[in-house]
Amino acid sequence: MRGPVFMICLLCGTVVASLIFGQSSLSIATLWEGMTTGTGPGALMINTIRGPRVVTAFGAGAVLGLSGALFQALFRNPLAAPDIMGFTSGAGLAIIIAVAFGINAPMPLVAAIGGLVAAGCVGLITHQKGHVPAPLTLILVGLGVGFFSSALSTFLLTLLAHNEAAEAQRWLTGSLAARDWSHATQVWIIGGVLTAVSLGQMRNLAALELGPDLAAGLGLRVGAARWLLSGTAVLLAATGVAVAGPVPFVALMAGPMGIRMTGAQSLTSKMLSGAGAGALVLMLADLAARAALPGIQLPAGVMTGILGAPYLLWRLSREMKRGEL
Amino acid sequence: MSLTTVDLSLGYDDQNVIEGLNLTFEKGQMVSILGPNGCGKSTLLKAMARLQKPSAGQVVLDSVDINTRDTRALAREMAILPQAPLAPEGISVADLVKRGRTPWRGFLSPWRDEDAKACHDALAAVQMQDLAERPINELSGGQRQRAWIALVLAQNAPLLLLDEPTTFLDLVHQIEVLSLLRKRNKETGLTVISVLHDLNLAARYSDQLVLLGHQRLVAAGTPDQVLTAANLSDAFGLKARVDPDPVTNTPMVIPL
Repeated sequence: MRGPVFMICLLCGTVVASLIFGQSSLSIATLWEGMTTGTGPGALMINTIRGPRVVTAFGAGAVLGLSGALFQALFRNPLAAPDIMGFTSGAGLAIIIAVAFGINAPMPLVAAIGGLVAAGCVGLITHQKGHVPAPLTLILVGLGVGFFSSALSTFLLTLLAHNEAAEAQRWLTGSLAARDWSHATQVWIIGGVLTAVSLGQMRNLAALELGPDLAAGLGLRVGAARWLLSGTAVLLAATGVAVAGPVPFVALMAGPMGIRMTGAQSLTSKMLSGAGAGALVLMLADLAARAALPGIQLPAGVMTGILGAPYLLWRLSREMKRGEL
Repeated sequence: MSLTTVDLSLGYDDQNVIEGLNLTFEKGQMVSILGPNGCGKSTLLKAMARLQKPSAGQVVLDSVDINTRDTRALAREMAILPQAPLAPEGISVADLVKRGRTPWRGFLSPWRDEDAKACHDALAAVQMQDLAERPINELSGGQRQRAWIALVLAQNAPLLLLDEPTTFLDLVHQIEVLSLLRKRNKETGLTVISVLHDLNLAARYSDQLVLLGHQRLVAAGTPDQVLTAANLSDAFGLKARVDPDPVTNTPMVIPL
């Protein structure tokens, strides 16, 4: 049952299910009619209501998943992910700052700056001359930076008008409500470029996985290669945050989950599996958030939280048993 | 080709572990670096592989300071196997060995015949063709070490540096590793410089020995010149008798 085909089938199935189900459900026939003729309630669903939202969730989940898989391979630690290390919270904070102070700049750019600043803070705090910081140190410091960003974001909500604050609060949880095609194209285009950039660094990552000394012996400029990979992964995560908010745990769960589902061996296919699993998790979380409770639309981030927090605890206990923590 | 250290000083945080070291390693030889724990053997090896910047002096390969050279170009001339390399989870021996080709492959360039040949030869040299598809974490310690050696052999550099390649192995596997390095050295002229602990094995398998004491060189030369009772007392504070090994006639250290 495992393999890339399995993953692709699941993704297709989830897209269809996401279009069909919601507060009101469609029949497959209506959806088919909308797709083929471009008229009727099916077409309305695809073009305006659920279509852009599902495509955005797909893209945002994929970039978050890829970002997580990159960090996990780079730091050789399943807990290393942009949501655990505070980078997504940093990107979220930057967007809240922009909204609160009326800064009119493109959201992906603002999120990217926020993510990079958060990553820079983690890098500076953990910096020791001549030593590469241990992954666990990075994760713990990142956790702190993340908490600080989230707290500051919540604080800044008080500066917003009442209805704006409610909207922003929802977004900070991670939400795909009211996404249109501009969000979808944005995350797919920027995400596509960044995916290509990260896949171009797979040989560097393959060498870095062997440890810094062997990587250097293989002719890699270790410091530069690590920064370039981390930077790309931060930008990927920020691209997802710009359209879906700092949804928790998608990046954390996607990598290991994707590898399990596809049985990927090579680094490139491991990374793509992470992207696929991220898309799957975010689309399913959004579907569950929309359809679970009649009359209530939850933010997708609530669902990834309910799913992700137990996963994190399980992972922690497993790492402790293996003596890695 | 030769690798030379010129007035080389090495240290961490203003504290030098080695000072003013002048050594020459000739091409095609098998050399072992010996000395007590904490004398800076591994630090010296790292500096010779440009993994650690000297606090003073130079490491010179073919009359050029290695720290001024392009690191990728240098990786085609020298390979290093550090003491505890990390194996990615679930990786097969073949995939691990492939990564040794890193310095020869351009950005996005495809896998070429010569890459495949280098990996094949490396696996053959460590006699692991049959285990190529096995995940490395399922192998025994000795097999795993041979896989790592295959990786650095696939790098196809004429100079190979190894940091304690036999440390966690039992005697049989220690001999296995040293014999295969010796064989490669004789067959292809590969220069092998390793940090070793076992004095008697080092004497058996080396053309030259470098014996370090605390912060200084005690002796360098052939095993017969280096492994003397006086030098051992000087480097380790060890009282020992040195007799010829009844099998190989190389010096054999018998602690008193």
